[in-house]
Amino acid sequence: MSALFDIDLADASTFPSRRTEAWKYSDLKRYLREAPQPSPTAAIGAPGPFYDLGGEAIVFANGRAVGVTDFIASGDQTLRLRYISDAVGTGHSAGARVAARAGARLLLLETHEGAGSAYVAHNTLELDVAAGAEVTRIVLVEEPEDALSIAQAQVKVEAGGVFRQTVIATGARLQRVETRVDHHARGAHVQADGLYLLNGARQADLTSVVRHLDRDGTTSQLIKGVARDAARGVFQGKIVVERGADGTDARMGHHALIASERAEIDAKPELIIYADDVQCAHGNTVGALDESALFYMQQRGVPADEARALLTQAFLIEVVDRIEHEGAREVVREWLTARL
Amino acid sequence: MAAVKETIDAVAELERYKYGFTSDVEQEFAPKGLNADIVRFISEKKGEPEWMLEWRLAAYERWQAMEEPTWAAVKYAPVDYQDLFYYAAPKKKEGPKSLDEVDPELLAVYEKLGIPLKEQEVLAGVEGAPRVAVDAVFDSVSVVTTFKEELAKAGVIFMPISEALREYPDLVRQYLGSVVPVSDNYFAALNSAVFSDGSFVYIPPGVRCPMELSTYFRINASQTGQFERTLIIADKGSYVSYLEGCTAPMRDENQLHAAVVEIVALDDAEVKYSTVQNWYPGDAEGRGGIYNFVTKRADCRGDRSKVSWTQVETGSAVTWKYPSCILKGEESSGEFYSIAITNGHQQADTGTKMIHLGRNSKSRIIAKAVSAGKSDSTYRGLVSVHPKATGVRNFTQCDSLLIGKDCGSHTIPYIEARNGSAQLEHEATTTRLSDDQLFYAQQRGLSEEEAVALLVNGFVRDVLQELPMEFAVEAQKLVAISLEGSVG
Repeated sequence: MSALFDIDLADASTFPSRRTEAWKYSDLKRYLREAPQPSPTAAIGAPGPFYDLGGEAIVFANGRAVGVTDFIASGDQTLRLRYISDAVGTGHSAGARVAARAGARLLLLETHEGAGSAYVAHNTLELDVAAGAEVTRIVLVEEPEDALSIAQAQVKVEAGGVFRQTVIATGARLQRVETRVDHHARGAHVQADGLYLLNGARQADLTSVVRHLDRDGTTSQLIKGVARDAARGVFQGKIVVERGADGTDARMGHHALIASERAEIDAKPELIIYADDVQCAHGNTVGALDESALFYMQQRGVPADEARALLTQAFLIEVVDRIEHEGAREVVREWLTARL
Repeated sequence: MAAVKETIDAVAELERYKYGFTSDVEQEFAPKGLNADIVRFISEKKGEPEWMLEWRLAAYERWQAMEEPTWAAVKYAPVDYQDLFYYAAPKKKEGPKSLDEVDPELLAVYEKLGIPLKEQEVLAGVEGAPRVAVDAVFDSVSVVTTFKEELAKAGVIFMPISEALREYPDLVRQYLGSVVPVSDNYFAALNSAVFSDGSFVYIPPGVRCPMELSTYFRINASQTGQFERTLIIADKGSYVSYLEGCTAPMRDENQLHAAVVEIVALDDAEVKYSTVQNWYPGDAEGRGGIYNFVTKRADCRGDRSKVSWTQVETGSAVTWKYPSCILKGEESSGEFYSIAITNGHQQADTGTKMIHLGRNSKSRIIAKAVSAGKSDSTYRGLVSVHPKATGVRNFTQCDSLLIGKDCGSHTIPYIEARNGSAQLEHEATTTRLSDDQLFYAQQRGLSEEEAVALLVNGFVRDVLQELPMEFAVEAQKLVAISLEGSVG
């Protein structure tokens, strides 16, 4: 357990409840009163969605490392980081450490692959992006509807470094993907995108905190989500510009569709600013599909359900289109389309 | 270009805080500190009915069991609740209530503040000039209420709440605490226990209040907390515009102001509530100033009812308030327009809550924050949509302007949508004054300070326009005065 992450599955007193402001919309304590029994060992089945893109791999099965847990990238590399859960009613934690050396380019393909039921998973990642390095992190999260899952990442970006991230979450009983990114030195660029597509009674919480500690950093964030049935989507995005971090340009957008009477969206887009020479903005919209677009498509012979699916896809795909790596983008597009 | 001229005039006659004088009005105090006997003392002083005393004592008991909240983004030295006077009133002799009987010292105070208390003076103005009825609250009591008779002809009740408790106890009892319950929060509970005065307004069905109503709050005595309570009831189809102003002397100590405002709007009623808050903000080093911890809430109970909050917050050392609307009625609507200007060491954590419970209810939030000096300003707001509230619309816009390297500006909105037909939009920006615009204005002969005042007035224009005319001019001057010393 690293000091960076404050949840310890073995100690129930560390489980946050909605009384903790940062966990207001994801009350872990409500679902998990006591520390879960540790999960047994698990076998690794399928090769994972990003297998075809090759590269190195870090694999955890029910929290146990199969091989190394640390990775340092240099040159141009691909790393598949797989957190595999296959347990019933038990809990497990896993932590990986990844770094990209100065000037390196790393494609980090992270998957949270869940099987079984009602397990508790707590997976963490420490990621250092050295000066001038470029890391693209794609996170696919797919878990059983009754699982509790918390993925936390702490990212540090040095001068002129680039960190791009796209999270795709499909929810669970409680699923939280939390990313904390520090612009540790000047001139870094961060893109922190994500989308959630939720059915049934699933819940997903995309939380991010991007801190600008030095000058001339840029942050761009686009989060989109769809909540159907009785699902609940949560977005908490915080951009902090510390004193002295002048020249910062930060933009955040969260746009959500509520596709049913019983679905719920909770959003908290925050700007905390202590420097004056900055450009910061956020936009947030919550609404239903555009009735006139639906009508237009139906008029042209597209059945209502199909029209709805197409419009939803068009709405979400904007996030996928922002993934620069072509191979990864196509895998994500197919993965998402299959789930629409 | 009248507005520009106003600004320039205002800047020209700048004073740090022109309401900072104290007045030697003979006053009587309750003993320092807070206990059940003080609550009884206040209730007795006011000649309140028995149920009211019990209500207060129950509130006091709740307050004792509560903990002071700490979640706001403000820092302040803790308040010693036992080191305050909870009741301070100008001494007055028993007798007639006419204006002539009011202590001339007091009248002088209000004259100095520019508040017209003499009806004839108001009337002597240009024919057709807007008239404003004023309820003047001095520390713990209301000293005078103007135009009462004329308002009574229209059926409007406008009087100090202590008087209303005696004259219309049933009406007060029906609504008091129905919007902000006693146990709502720490400061509301404290206020319920010890509030000493404030205004009571009742507009009967179908009546459009013939003039603007206004309450003017003045803290004068030192080591005194001001706890006023305002209750406004707009019956079916009525309309009222209500203004609130506040000032306090300059003192090295921090003084507590914990007010509660409750508004009830029934079917088709409309209430417009405007505040220009100019409590003493403390000196340049952050000594002294008012702690402004206020609970303001409107209950749009009726269908098609409407409440609009407009606030200009320039004063107070620490401001912590969220004027809110509970939109229960179908097609009810809530509006919130706010300008919060902080300078020096001021801190403000302010915003609104729009709670949509009724079908097709609408809300609109426009918040402008300007931070300068070493100050901190936070917009914190909630828009929530209940599962049964279909067809809800909300638009929110928060813009922040930073002047200087040592200030902070934060935006913390909460959006909670539980209905698929809701359409909620929120946008926020944070930036500093444009160098190009400043340069342009200075090139045309304005000093840097004048240029800043001009640009800031432009920045907050959307909100200034929502203010009633009498207030808009004053507010515009305030904007300039509050920012004095923020550049150069």
